[in-house]
Amino acid sequence: MSEYGIKPDPTLLGCLTRVPLVMLMIACLAIAGAMARGRDDSTPKIEQGRKVFHERCGYCHLAGGTGTIMLARRLGKDRALLEERTDLTQEYIKKITRVGINGMPPHNRIEVPDGELDLIAIYLTRPASSRTSSGGAGQGATP
Amino acid sequence: MKLVLPPRVSEATFQKALSAFTGVVGKEWVLATDEDRETFMDYYAAGDADLHVPSAAIGPQSTEEVQAILRIANEHKIPLWPISRGKNLGYGAAAPCMSGTVVLDLSRMKKIIDVNERFGYCVIEPGVGFFDLFHYLQENKIKLWMSIPANAWGSVVGNALERGYGYTPYGENTRNICGLEVVLPNGDLVRTGNGAMAKSASWNLFKYGFGPSWDQIFCQSNYGVVTKMGMWLMPEPEATLGLNIQLPNPDDVGWAIDELAPLRMKGVIEQSPSIGNSLRFVASRTQRSEWYTGDGALPDEVLVDILKKNNLGWWTINLRLYGYDEVNEAHARIIKEAFAKHTKQEFEVLKWHRGEPIDNSGAGVPATVALQIINWRGGRGGHIGFSPILPATSEHVLRQFHATKKRYEEIGVDYYGSFTLFERYTTNVNMMVYDRDDKAMTAKVRALFKVLIADAAKQGYSEYRTHISYMDDVALSFDFNNHALLRLNETLKDALDPNGILAPGKQGIWPRALRSERA
Repeated sequence: MSEYGIKPDPTLLGCLTRVPLVMLMIACLAIAGAMARGRDDSTPKIEQGRKVFHERCGYCHLAGGTGTIMLARRLGKDRALLEERTDLTQEYIKKITRVGINGMPPHNRIEVPDGELDLIAIYLTRPASSRTSSGGAGQGATP
Repeated sequence: MKLVLPPRVSEATFQKALSAFTGVVGKEWVLATDEDRETFMDYYAAGDADLHVPSAAIGPQSTEEVQAILRIANEHKIPLWPISRGKNLGYGAAAPCMSGTVVLDLSRMKKIIDVNERFGYCVIEPGVGFFDLFHYLQENKIKLWMSIPANAWGSVVGNALERGYGYTPYGENTRNICGLEVVLPNGDLVRTGNGAMAKSASWNLFKYGFGPSWDQIFCQSNYGVVTKMGMWLMPEPEATLGLNIQLPNPDDVGWAIDELAPLRMKGVIEQSPSIGNSLRFVASRTQRSEWYTGDGALPDEVLVDILKKNNLGWWTINLRLYGYDEVNEAHARIIKEAFAKHTKQEFEVLKWHRGEPIDNSGAGVPATVALQIINWRGGRGGHIGFSPILPATSEHVLRQFHATKKRYEEIGVDYYGSFTLFERYTTNVNMMVYDRDDKAMTAKVRALFKVLIADAAKQGYSEYRTHISYMDDVALSFDFNNHALLRLNETLKDALDPNGILAPGKQGIWPRALRSERA
């Protein structure tokens, strides 16, 4: 427990500690998937975006994270995990990251440079065809 | 946010300095648009973010770049506000004390330079976050445990320099510092302690060096930019034993402190138990409007009803024993016997042994879920904490608890307090949670904060750490011999930083040229 009275969430811990292995697995799956259905030019950027999303946003926005909990309370569980959302636009993601929203503070261009934010936005708005087992969304959220 | 120039600096000089900074770090890492300035402001401020507006931010990647930046800042008299990762939430986050100051953001300097398992230490740069170091230890199967604060988004170095704390036996983070590398305001580079010997075999083993010991001089100060820190880490214990208990009455905190403090001092308890009023539990999981919609502080009868419905006591105590199983069991018996004199409440017992998953072991495990509390009032939440140090006795704790709660009620803020117990003192964190867009509420919070500083000072209680808006007030409460310590601090400041470029106003320490800025 902490001065805030909350235990660290073991689900989140699991997500974060297992990210490298999971990323490796998903990268392999992504390559296999791309080979199976013909290479999509955006796939490398989606994969890079997933990696950056986990590194920069994973503190709060994976399963069990504080951002996920807050979004579940405000918008409902089905819209809590950013990786599973299909209603976000790149412009919205970039703007909210820079100005913050509700409890989420803004992120400056040193901690998340514009190039990385572009990749995060590409990943979170990836097409449905990249959201299969080869796309990584489901695994990314609950590795 | 429009540009606010630093005092003493013309726009032409400012632009010239930015060009020179760009020459050092590259265009990508000098940020000076209106939107950039907003991203370094105090997002959780209680209505006073406009008092602390940065003019720009620079992101160096190496010690050499930091040195070059400080030399340029001296040349143009540009004030700099070093931050490690800028997550000092509730204390000003990344924002500078004085408007117009340029933020020196060290978050790109994130090398884990050394981890020594045999001697239990690491050497890291300021951009290394708690998550980064935790993952490094886990992935490399290094059996060292970290001490981690409630919100672990921030920097290991920054937190230790600000004297933050965690909840393991190594919980007093500043105490674990052993050897710093520091860029002085004039750009010179020093290593403290035994690191002052170029080939030292014990820089991160022996804290004091030869002659004056400087590590603590660079904590909560504005005398240098720390670019490397040696920090002791705790060897993984053989086992842990957790004891949690709910105490039903407000005054139970008195006897609990009297029973626990001697055990903490004797080493029966080696970590710092947290005794928190149960509103913190409720605030992290629900919103106030679910329980009460009235103005003013949450009434006692409503709180009692909330606690009853959640099966909570007025206070929750969490403590943890670390070490050999037999010793933990013996210490647990001593603690239980001490409590049995006062209550029939039973402890919840949590056991962990080496090799089991560490999720519930009492190891420092980073998380950010603590931030849930800012949702308590709804809207765009924020929080700030008033945290005086008290002698660990019931007399002091009960007096301060009742006086503080009364002030919260008079001004109309929900009381939310905790006592973290160290060997001889307790840190009394009083949290204020608010809706940042409710101007009446944030005005109340600012008024309450000032009253609490004054009340505490009358009792001889001082804060261990404070928000950037209150640094002058707290510094001035240290009034022995007409503020002799402040005179000493500012004498040192003027000697080390004659141009007054480094973090003016930090901890109430102002350089000669800017003392008129003191609040």
